[in-house]
Amino acid sequence: MNNLEEKLWNFIDGNCTPEEQKAVRLLIENDAAAGAKYRELLSMNTAFAQMDLDEPPMAFTYNVMEAIRTENAQVPLKAAINKRIIRGIAVFFTLTLVTLLVLVFASIKWSGQGLPVSLTAHFKIPDINSGETKVVVQAFVFFDVMLGLYLFDAYLRRKRSAKDTKML
Amino acid sequence: MQSKLSDAQLIEQTLTGNQAAYAELVKRHQRFVFTLAMRYAKVREDAEEIAQDCFIKAYRSLASFKGQSKFSTWLYSIVYTTAMTFLRKKRVDTESIDDENNFVQVENQASAYDVNNAENKSRSFYLDQAIAQLLPDDAAIITLFYKGEQSLEEIAQAMGMETNTVKVKLFRARQRLKEKLERNLKHEVKELI
Repeated sequence: MNNLEEKLWNFIDGNCTPEEQKAVRLLIENDAAAGAKYRELLSMNTAFAQMDLDEPPMAFTYNVMEAIRTENAQVPLKAAINKRIIRGIAVFFTLTLVTLLVLVFASIKWSGQGLPVSLTAHFKIPDINSGETKVVVQAFVFFDVMLGLYLFDAYLRRKRSAKDTKML
Repeated sequence: MQSKLSDAQLIEQTLTGNQAAYAELVKRHQRFVFTLAMRYAKVREDAEEIAQDCFIKAYRSLASFKGQSKFSTWLYSIVYTTAMTFLRKKRVDTESIDDENNFVQVENQASAYDVNNAENKSRSFYLDQAIAQLLPDDAAIITLFYKGEQSLEEIAQAMGMETNTVKVKLFRARQRLKEKLERNLKHEVKELI
């Protein structure tokens, strides 16, 4: 479409480089046909710019706001959830866990032999390497891995769709 | 007093829960959003549904608006996607939204135009009539460019296209609009534009 009309439209829209502008100006001044075409396009441009916008119904704003109210979307998510509260809760639990771990490790007698706590005589650590227990443990681990992959996939999809819809 | 606030300020107020601020934003942009919806839907009732849906969607995702572009550009991108979804749903029975023949009905109405009434009708009437005969994308690009105060880059952003594609489409849309005006008005088009 690299023709005279395109050059003239670019000139009218102000999408030309200074050199192109100079060349088009010379063309309009020296070429009668180009000058006539330029005036025609310019008047079209003026006419297009004068088009009217359609008027929505009188109650449009009211209808929109009513629809928002009825959807119980009174406050956007950002306003409804205060991130500082969420962060506060996260910090509280992290600190609690860290404190507990520190206390547990501090109470261990590292120099001592054997377990720091005496297990009752009847307590028996289950053997995961034998028979049915092994199958159950493997099934459990397999299920966990699959669930993890599924959730990770869902997370990536959500992230991607959020990126698509966020747009700008 | 609220009408003096910028879009960004109104958005900020809306995000703190002030619904009146959002109502002000709707009032400010409703005419253009409705016009844009009309370019796709061609029917007032459908356009109203699209425009309303668009403002509700914008409200829901207002927090995700980062302010890196104009609010209007962001809003028009929502209008575009909402309108496309609406058209796809409506024309699910195999008709293509890119098929110019789908808009023949409007065109036939235009060809029935009475020459004697020309003097009584305004320039914008004929312009609107010709725009209504364009393909939705062409009509939307012309409207965004001339009435939406959007640059080619912003239109490209709103419509999810390359800037050069929009530039070519705008060029062709103008040509087609001129052809429609000439067809509708024959020699009177010279007096009109």
